[in-house]
Amino acid sequence: MNVLETRHVTMRFGGLTAVDDLNIVIEEGEIVSLIGPNGAGKTTCFNVITGIYQPTEGEVFFYGEKLNGKRPDQVASIGISRTFQNIRLFKTMTVLENVLCATHFNRHSGLFSNILHLPNALKEEGLNRDKALKILDEVGLAQYADWKATSLPYGLQRRLEIARALVSEPKLLLLDEPAAGMNPKESDELADFIFEIKDKFHITVFLIEHHMKLVMKISDRIYVTQYGKTIAMGTPEEIRNNPLVIQAYLGEEG
Amino acid sequence: MEKKNNAIFQRILENRNKVLTIVFLALIMVIVGNLKPWFGSYWVRVFNTCCIYSMVTMSMNLVNGCTGIFTMGSPGFMCIGAYTTAILTLTPEVKDAVYYLSPIAPWLRELNTSFPVALLLGGLFAAIAAFIIGFPVLRLSGDYLSIATMAFSEIARVIMLNAQSITNGPIGITKIKNHVTVWVAFMALVSVYVLLRLLMRSTYGRALKAVRDDPVAAEAIGIPLFRTKMTSFIISGFIAGIAGGLLASLVGTIDANQFVYSYVNQFLLMMILGGNGSMTGSILGSFVITTALEVFRFMDEPIDFGFWKYPGIGGMRMVLFSISLMLIVLFWEHGIMGSNEFSWDRIIERVKKLVSSIRGLFKRKEEQA
Ligand SMILES: Nc1ncnc2c1ncn2[C@@H]1O[C@H](COP(=O)(O)OP(=O)(O)OP(=O)(O)O)[C@@H](O)[C@H]1O
Ligand SMILES: [Mg+2]
Repeated sequence: MNVLETRHVTMRFGGLTAVDDLNIVIEEGEIVSLIGPNGAGKTTCFNVITGIYQPTEGEVFFYGEKLNGKRPDQVASIGISRTFQNIRLFKTMTVLENVLCATHFNRHSGLFSNILHLPNALKEEGLNRDKALKILDEVGLAQYADWKATSLPYGLQRRLEIARALVSEPKLLLLDEPAAGMNPKESDELADFIFEIKDKFHITVFLIEHHMKLVMKISDRIYVTQYGKTIAMGTPEEIRNNPLVIQAYLGEEG
Repeated sequence: MEKKNNAIFQRILENRNKVLTIVFLALIMVIVGNLKPWFGSYWVRVFNTCCIYSMVTMSMNLVNGCTGIFTMGSPGFMCIGAYTTAILTLTPEVKDAVYYLSPIAPWLRELNTSFPVALLLGGLFAAIAAFIIGFPVLRLSGDYLSIATMAFSEIARVIMLNAQSITNGPIGITKIKNHVTVWVAFMALVSVYVLLRLLMRSTYGRALKAVRDDPVAAEAIGIPLFRTKMTSFIISGFIAGIAGGLLASLVGTIDANQFVYSYVNQFLLMMILGGNGSMTGSILGSFVITTALEVFRFMDEPIDFGFWKYPGIGGMRMVLFSISLMLIVLFWEHGIMGSNEFSWDRIIERVKKLVSSIRGLFKRKEEQA
């Protein structure tokens, strides 16, 4: 079953075409990467999938359900979670509270039971707290639960953002440059971490990344974009040997 | 025997905060109960006003401080609550006397409810108004949103000013019975404070803060922005409506011009002085400023300094008030509480620090000696 499918998705900002006729298919359980030079339209692609932008043309499907017209919170509530290129944590809250926020949409108790702290609301809060603590434990942040989120070191902030994305038990996880600012050792750890959460949470992962070593190591398939256009798609081996890619992407760096 | 004493002492220590809260509340209640004999009825009135203003400030803080949307609609909501309470608590006979220029609409004349019912209905109408104006207004952002809410206050005022057969127009409504005793004001304040604190501790409170801290991230984890803002706005309108009703009853007369849009500045100052996002701060800010405005009343009247006669300039204290708003915003933007709430742990920590620093001072003197 296709988890995600974009059909002829185009996103224009005025005269600029950030994403041009994008056709991506991701199957259940895959780890798929999207790579390309700066300004290639990768983040814009995530923003279209998650409903921040409505595509100028084309359609997006999630398990066959059309996402066009849905707001970001609706997209999140049907099982797509994401992280951001420039980390976005709730800065006045603790690590635990950051994770708890992502359980809000899934609540069964109403406003009044929550204000009055009625038993059903308290019970739900307790369950959510346990769940959040369990996730924090799994990503290795349990000991920081009561820290201010922004007082964590950079690498752990990234982990926290992933923990927050995972607590709602999504089916698809979108990671926007999770290794940005990490040294080679940290990015190796991140690769293991992504494998680990993929198996533990039975999720499909779609990620944008610049660190080629990481991409080659973890991806089942890779899409390469340039100026909004997809110029190649294939396994890491195929991409490594694709002359177009070498010219457009790797050539630029090396 | 000694062991038993120790056990009791241990229990008290474990529940230190609870014990402190009970003692503190008891103390406050003794003061509130003896306000009149100890301070006289003038200060009772000031205290009641402080309580009501605290409610308005907290309602404003819920939206502005906790949800991060800068609204200025409090006067409008208070206006709706005040008129509702005033009209519903006047008896038909009194209404005839009050609406002497042109009579009240017949269906309204007969409407007469008890004070609590009138208050709740006032809050409800204000909440409905919040719901209705929320649709266009909460989709705006930044300055546009503030201006739109200010416009709402003006619209509410102008409607009240002109709906002659309902609101008695520019004459206003008089002879409103005063139901606001010290206990009514105090209990209203405490209930609003407790409810808002409970709200902010719940998952809904976290959602409000998430929207304030980072709307993009909040939406990406499934928190609907518009709905969340609307919830906060409606609760805020409800509380401001009730406060308006209490104010009408306390003052005894209302007139639409009392709720001019710039009335909001006062609550803004109280909120900022107390600390943006702190309900405890809102109460402190309201009490400090309301009391200060009373104390500084002498500035509007002539004073003889002996060498110089100050002629007494009407509105002088408002000038002082505006200057202090500017100074606070410039130099003390976190206010009294920052975004923290009242907590014994923090107070005790502060006291301990103070004590140890004083001790340190003495020690140094000893060493020198
Ligand atoms: N909201 C917007 N309005 C106008 N232009 C935009 C908007 N968002 C993105 N763009 C433009 O679209 C193009 C693609 O941007 P995007 O952020 O998707 O690139 P990217 O591939 O994520 O790059 P990077 O690797 O630097 O993150 C850029 O030229 C950018 O300036
Ligand atoms: Mg990007």
